[in-house]
Amino acid sequence: MAGVRLQRRDFLRALARTFAAQGSWNYRTYVAGGLSYALLPLLERIHAGDPVALREALERHLRPFNAHPYLVPVAVGALARLEHEREDPERIARFRTALSSSLGAIGDRLVWQGWRPFCLLISVLAFSMGLGPWWAVLVFLLLYNTGHVALRAWGLRRGWDNGLKVGDVLSSGWIRRAASGLVAADLVLLGAVAVALCARIPAGDWPAWVRAVVGGGAALAGLAWPGALGVAAAALVVVASLVAWLPG
Amino acid sequence: MPEPDLWSWVLAVVAGGFVGADAVAWPQVMVSRPLVAATVGGALMGRPADGMLVGAILELLTLRHPPFGAARYPDTGPAGLVAGAAFGAAGHAGPAALAVSVALGWVLGWIGARSVRLLRSLNARLLADVSGLARVPARLERRQRLGVALDFGRGAVLTAAFLVPATLLARAAPPAPGGTPGAFVVGALVLATGAAAGAIAGSAAGGRRAWLLLAAGVAVALGVGWLA
Repeated sequence: MAGVRLQRRDFLRALARTFAAQGSWNYRTYVAGGLSYALLPLLERIHAGDPVALREALERHLRPFNAHPYLVPVAVGALARLEHEREDPERIARFRTALSSSLGAIGDRLVWQGWRPFCLLISVLAFSMGLGPWWAVLVFLLLYNTGHVALRAWGLRRGWDNGLKVGDVLSSGWIRRAASGLVAADLVLLGAVAVALCARIPAGDWPAWVRAVVGGGAALAGLAWPGALGVAAAALVVVASLVAWLPG
Repeated sequence: MPEPDLWSWVLAVVAGGFVGADAVAWPQVMVSRPLVAATVGGALMGRPADGMLVGAILELLTLRHPPFGAARYPDTGPAGLVAGAAFGAAGHAGPAALAVSVALGWVLGWIGARSVRLLRSLNARLLADVSGLARVPARLERRQRLGVALDFGRGAVLTAAFLVPATLLARAAPPAPGGTPGAFVVGALVLATGAAAGAIAGSAAGGRRAWLLLAAGVAVALGVGWLA
């Protein structure tokens, strides 16, 4: 029976709960606990008066499932739609598996490799060029979370509206273009940050321009050998922290 | 500079819990990033700008480890806060204290990562009884919230354990190391910062286009600096 009408506050409760979706993240069921926790307000409305159906639905959604946390609302909306339409449980299970891999890959590229570095690097660059620390923090948090919250709300809406066809929405061009554009912007920002931040390192007799040029050159080297120089950078700081105690 | 008091310590531990939980459990608004957490740590010692400098360098060292799937990554929240507090407590913003604080933040980040793995094993036990959780949904809700609370506690414990030793160590660092050691420290910080930025770029993209974009950023920043 698809006649149960979900209310706006059910969706808002589900959306709010997605912010805690990874609260019980583990290596066995991944984000399934959080997914079920976020789905619960919707499932309770859908299966109101039928505790057996509610239990069966929860057992389905407590099975292993992984996704980027900001795209968990896509899964919440889509799975709630399938439950609402009393879709065959086997079909729901297959859909869950397909959704899991795409939500992980898309979110990783768009958010962890694209949006988050973009917002952080803008803030670091602004600080390096003289913006006060609290303003820089505010710039980052406001910018980042505007996109973050918008993505969650968009995902819940698209998931509910499209149900089984949400995969078409996820494979649409704008997500790929946005991710590519952000990564490109990140590269430019990384070059600028390498120069500007190095100029801010307290260095006594070293002129700022020398630090800036060396920092920029090191960034280009890091691009060539990211694995080795990424590790070397951290090791170099640790070694420096020990050398600092030596008498001059 | 006023001495940090018990109230600062308590605030730091509470903040450490919050930034510890923010990275994964709740609410993931990224106050757990070193840039924010270290600024808060520095502010607790009266020097937010110093905290942010530490946080900015730690960002470049940690952005190369995004939380893809079950990959290991440093736990930046409590680590950043402790590192920022350490450098802020040093009070003189010298390169030695900076190197010590960043190094402490880096090491603590990986210690925190180990604690995250332990917590995840515990979370698996919290959710082991699937049929029980499905039969009584309120249990699922309690277990989910308990997971968030445990992550908060984890962050608070890490902060409480390392905050005082870290601040004492950074304070004891020589303000201006002279001679060859001093030059090495500055050079190392500059090279590490630059190389870390390039390594992030190399991890995200490759090819001629990546070179051009990174070089464009370097050139623009140098040009702006020269003009200024």
